[in-house]
Amino acid sequence: MGQEKYYSLKNVIFLIIIIALIFFPYVADSRTLTILMTQVFIFSILAMSYDILLGYTGIVSFGHAMFFGIGAYTTAILLSMYDNTMMIFLISIIVGMIFTGFVSFLVGLLTLRLKSHFFAMLTLAISGLFLVVAEKWRTVTKGNDGFTFRAPDLFRDRVFFYFFVLVCLVVAFLVLRRFVTSPLGKVLIAVRENEQRTRSLGFRTLHYKVIASIVAGVVASLSGSLYAISLRFVNTSVMSMDITLDALLMTIIGGVGTLVGPIVGSFVIEIAQHYLSGLANDYPIFERWIIFFGMLYILVVIFFPKGIVGTVYVKYLTWKSKKSRPQQPKQSVPLVKDKERLE
Amino acid sequence: MDLFINLFINGLATGMLIFLLASGLTLIFGLMDVLNFAHGGLFVWGAYSGIFAYTWSGSFIVGILGAIVTGFVLGWVTEKLIITPVYGNHVQQILITLGFMLVLSELIKVVFGPNGIPVEVPSYLAGSWEFGEVILIKYRIFIIFIGFVIFGIFQYVLKKTKIGLIVRAGVMDKEMVQVLGINIKRVFLFVFMTGSAMAAFGGMLMAPYSGVIYAEMGMEYAILGFIVVVIGGMGSFSGSLMAAILVGLAGSFMAYYVPYLSLAVNMILMAIVLIFRPQGLFTNAKEG
Repeated sequence: MGQEKYYSLKNVIFLIIIIALIFFPYVADSRTLTILMTQVFIFSILAMSYDILLGYTGIVSFGHAMFFGIGAYTTAILLSMYDNTMMIFLISIIVGMIFTGFVSFLVGLLTLRLKSHFFAMLTLAISGLFLVVAEKWRTVTKGNDGFTFRAPDLFRDRVFFYFFVLVCLVVAFLVLRRFVTSPLGKVLIAVRENEQRTRSLGFRTLHYKVIASIVAGVVASLSGSLYAISLRFVNTSVMSMDITLDALLMTIIGGVGTLVGPIVGSFVIEIAQHYLSGLANDYPIFERWIIFFGMLYILVVIFFPKGIVGTVYVKYLTWKSKKSRPQQPKQSVPLVKDKERLE
Repeated sequence: MDLFINLFINGLATGMLIFLLASGLTLIFGLMDVLNFAHGGLFVWGAYSGIFAYTWSGSFIVGILGAIVTGFVLGWVTEKLIITPVYGNHVQQILITLGFMLVLSELIKVVFGPNGIPVEVPSYLAGSWEFGEVILIKYRIFIIFIGFVIFGIFQYVLKKTKIGLIVRAGVMDKEMVQVLGINIKRVFLFVFMTGSAMAAFGGMLMAPYSGVIYAEMGMEYAILGFIVVVIGGMGSFSGSLMAAILVGLAGSFMAYYVPYLSLAVNMILMAIVLIFRPQGLFTNAKEG
């Protein structure tokens, strides 16, 4: 597609959205909305990191929660053991990242040799073991009851925390975008499309998959640290299967294989969760709001089979190609990334 | 020795229950290659509707039949509405079946109420036989017996009958079977319905065993079912049976001897199997 222009439509839209988000806490009068948006950003980071695995490398992991959980626990434990200063918090993020990097390296070496289903189940098993460790190592983690801790004083101010997380999200987005557009990222996409052929071209695919797993794990650890701060509380639920499933669903709903998709997905899911459960207070029919939530998943698969962003993007491309070159509809076909992701 | 026998019987019974659940999953996940997370939902619906029929009629057999019928009907609905659009696409299967799972388990709360329902063992299966220190609980023996019968039936149908042949051929090469003039879609629908009915049946038998049923039990047991299918080797019935028994026995012995590991035992078992024998414990095929 050639060199990307600085003033391309995409970049302008990004800029507008970021400016809108900067003014958001001053426009929205309620604290709840600011906290909700902070939550959306945190899960966006998690879902983006998951998309490195699912969307770009084409591997389904059921163990992403362990990286998230390690980040959350590292921050919580360091902050409660030492002082609740900003310095300790930043150190805890770094420590968490190094630790997850190491763990994901080992886990990756161990698991990534296996094919689709087997890999997924093995990551499920290993993250299950981490959950058990968190539950049983009571002297450090306080088990299922969890523990509260004091966040750095600056984060008392929810608006400041909002901006901090927003900056993290933007940085993570830019870094990951650089990562996936780099030559290394291209190899990952090649692995997703056809691993055997990539290997026969001379790439050691295992190495690349391990690198993808490390990058995904490190970024997930960042979101875990932020999550712990946002709750000022941590318990074993940060390691649970639910976190992995949330990341998975956000990625699929938004659109796999794009970095914007996971952000959109996490926005849709968090907002839907918030408002549907809020409706339950007013209308008794929404007391079982999870039903509507489940229907949302089903409807997304039927009407947006490539995720929201993916479907919109394909629509946009066909519209554009129709407009510019009406004779060549096939030009847009290779961009449709509906290859089977698991095999 | 007595303790050993007791633990062995307990583990075997638990293993058989897991097998009943996993046998449906072996059909759906192992043979048809559909990642069906709604399987646990069918399991819970089987338990609830079976218990409903059981308390309404007073007969345990009617309850079992009720569960199986519910399983068939729900299996039909699931296959038609949920699975047909996403055959062959695992990512979408995960999303859509998880959504359906949420719908199913929340509908349980709408229809039957959000609280757990206590269940009693029918009178002729209650109680136990005692031989010295060895206590054989009748219901557990009953479950073990049923498990082996189901296993025998499935083995026979899949290996010796024409329909089994068609199913196995369809799994190998869908288009080829279609070319031979067999409506493979209908065959897969039938297989899916059978798998769902097995899940519902397993749920119904599980209900008196655990003594109480609740809407969230589906997901817990579904994960156990996936573990068993993977350990046993995809699509292998005898593998699933052995793996289910292994999981049941390991759970029962570990809970007694090393209780603090009992939470992790399934995960450890699965991790070991996948690292050293990814093609499954009880298959000969060299793939994985």
